[in-house]
Amino acid sequence: MSGGVYGGDEVGALVFDIGHYALRAGYAGEDSPKAQIPSVVGVLEQAASVEMMDVDRIKEAAPASEKKYFIDTVALNVAKQDLEIVGYLKDGMIEDWDIFEKILNYTYAKCIKSESEFHPVLMSEAPWNTRAKREKLTEIMFEKYNVPAFYLVKNAVLAAFANGRSTGIVVDSGSTHTSAVPVYDGYVLSQGIVKSPLGGDFLTMQCKQLLESKDIEVVPPYMIAAKEAVKDFEKPKWTRKSNLPEVTKSWHNYMMKEVTRDFQATVLQVADAPYDEETVSTIPMVHYEFPNGYHQDFGCERFKIPEALFDPSSIKGVGNTMLGVGHVVTTSVGMCDIDLRPSLYGNVIVTGGNSLLLGFSDRLNRDLSAKTPQSMRLKIISASGSGERRFGAWIGGSILASLGSFQQMWISKQEYEEGGKTQVERKCP
Amino acid sequence: MCLLICFHAGKGYKQAKAHLGVRKVRPWKWMPFTNPARKDGAVFHHLALWMITIAFQEADEGKEYIHLFFTSMIKTDHLFDLCRQFDLRFTVIQDRWDVTRFSKRSIEDLKERYYDICNILNKARHTAGPEPKNIAYDADNEKRRKEQLKRLFDRTSEQVEEEANLLQELRKIEARKKDRERKTQDLQKLITAADSGGSTTASVADHSPATHRGTPPDKKQQIRKKNTPFATPKAKLELLPSVETPNTGIKFPEFKASGVFLRSQRMKLPPSVGQKKSKAIEQMLTELGLELNPMPTEEICQNFNELRSDLVLLYELKLGLSTCEYELQALRHQYEALAPGKTLEIPASLLSNNDPAILAEDVSARPKALSEVIDVVGSAATPMRKRKAALEQNNMLKKIKNRM
Repeated sequence: MSGGVYGGDEVGALVFDIGHYALRAGYAGEDSPKAQIPSVVGVLEQAASVEMMDVDRIKEAAPASEKKYFIDTVALNVAKQDLEIVGYLKDGMIEDWDIFEKILNYTYAKCIKSESEFHPVLMSEAPWNTRAKREKLTEIMFEKYNVPAFYLVKNAVLAAFANGRSTGIVVDSGSTHTSAVPVYDGYVLSQGIVKSPLGGDFLTMQCKQLLESKDIEVVPPYMIAAKEAVKDFEKPKWTRKSNLPEVTKSWHNYMMKEVTRDFQATVLQVADAPYDEETVSTIPMVHYEFPNGYHQDFGCERFKIPEALFDPSSIKGVGNTMLGVGHVVTTSVGMCDIDLRPSLYGNVIVTGGNSLLLGFSDRLNRDLSAKTPQSMRLKIISASGSGERRFGAWIGGSILASLGSFQQMWISKQEYEEGGKTQVERKCP
Repeated sequence: MCLLICFHAGKGYKQAKAHLGVRKVRPWKWMPFTNPARKDGAVFHHLALWMITIAFQEADEGKEYIHLFFTSMIKTDHLFDLCRQFDLRFTVIQDRWDVTRFSKRSIEDLKERYYDICNILNKARHTAGPEPKNIAYDADNEKRRKEQLKRLFDRTSEQVEEEANLLQELRKIEARKKDRERKTQDLQKLITAADSGGSTTASVADHSPATHRGTPPDKKQQIRKKNTPFATPKAKLELLPSVETPNTGIKFPEFKASGVFLRSQRMKLPPSVGQKKSKAIEQMLTELGLELNPMPTEEICQNFNELRSDLVLLYELKLGLSTCEYELQALRHQYEALAPGKTLEIPASLLSNNDPAILAEDVSARPKALSEVIDVVGSAATPMRKRKAALEQNNMLKKIKNRM
């Protein structure tokens, strides 16, 4: 088709990968996304500020309350009065379409810097996305953004493609949940999907509890004007910024969460074997300094918290109601046809930002080999680089959308106009 | 697969999939096409590959026939839609099967239905030529196969371990069995050799190594031996650890190679005779005042070889005897040490000095006794055989005596 012309297959497609932590966006064919935009936005009710200033105009202003959105890291991280933090996703699916559109607008204007009608769009979705939401998304893309072509792919399939497989079980450990999705020949087997709510956010919460129980005050950097060096375990010496506006609880929590998240990424590690105080205590401690200057070493806690991912019975109050990662995988494979199981166990694809925890795939390998028959060939596939792991689905989309043979797959504008939004069910199964 | 009907690949390589393996060759057709780069819509022709896909040539035709067999037309339609959409990937088809409208189906059910319809259609469309082949699909068999696989898969690690252990045990048992068989065979060979009366083989051959290991058959044998009235007086002796005596005299190799050779070659000791033995032969020969290398005439050759063979046998018997004697003495000392004050009277029949002449006389006087002493270790052979073997021995000993 391209006749050997370099870049003959190039259609200038855009790839969007929607995740709970962030939206990844960029051009197909590139090796990493152009932009990663947090999946939360700051919302400021304009009307509210007007009310306070001018009491006379309350009645007029009330219906015309206008929302101002603060999107992307830079805008989000500035302390503002009354700025509320809102997410637009729920369970991996788009819940608040207004915010979603705002983010898309922002992406087109600031990251892509181009008009939407020139670029076909490939978007990822949760494997359990509902038909109504898929159709709505298709409608928005064609009607509002006027894209020339559109395609929806399950993110598990894309992650598998990024790792060079079309069949396998995709273990995606993201921020809100960990899921195992069987993929066969590029199709998701929806009946075999298993989810567990134990993801990065869960660990962040556990870290927060740990810090609280240790009486370590987490102070987000926005409050700190200056700090002095202190010794281990000593009370931090820092001065508070003087001109801080009165921020909302949700925004403050968001900033706290960012700090905890950094702590989590730096300190936590998954033990090779089921948690054992003795063996863990022999491993060197890790030092961490908080933004306010307080610092100390962390020992066995760093193993105890992520242990919950693999052995949820160690979580207080949850008991055995939740599945550990290894269990999620075996349950999912167990729901698939027996003939498929060898090829699934032979291609366990690990992706998602939370899987970057130190020792995650090693532990998964250990847990799985204990649960699978010895004759079963077990292979864990995971990209080594942190970028490849975090942007797994996006990279898969980038590969897919840049293929010459993918051009026949797009839902073109014409097809949409002829067949309507139901096309998406037919063309993107 | 006549059902697989063709349609023109007008939409680029849409739905193209690499079909590997042996399939019907897809036909090339002279087809019109338009180039999308041209605005005027000019029509050109070229040879194009017809795509094979799953579709009814005429939807009505298919439906008509299927309708005869399946009341639920919608269900079948749904199945064929899915088949077309997913290129007969039945795993995906089963996954996407609309469970809200229809009841859940297994992959085997869907496959069976699909192939049934294919066969019906094939038959219905068939007008001329040989009868089209039916696509055979045995759903029951598949179900059973999967059931079995599942069971295999669901084994617990204990079960797997147990199975592995059992297999290992089985292998051990088989190896032991083989070992035993081999030993019996060896023994059998020796016995037959002894039976055939060759003076070069001796019944001491019964001292097969198997008898020393204390394996169950040995025990049995010992018990059997105890029970034989013959052995009762010397039952004690039988419990003695036996003497390892290698089997025979010398087995001279036969010259099978063609060509000329010196006859003296026949008198050469085979390499299986160790240094110790050849030294002993030498010594005995000098004692007897014989040449070490006599003139190799035909007769001398044979006799000389026989003589040496017997000498080796004698040497071994002596060796065995002295070992027995030594052990007897050792036991006596042991007994006396354990029960001080008592002395163990060793029957004269069991005593001998190392003078071969006296030994021979003793033997001739009480052949039975000595034969039993030598047969101490017993053998796997039947009692009948043993007695025969013992007899053989006597003869031989006599022979030795005579010669000397």
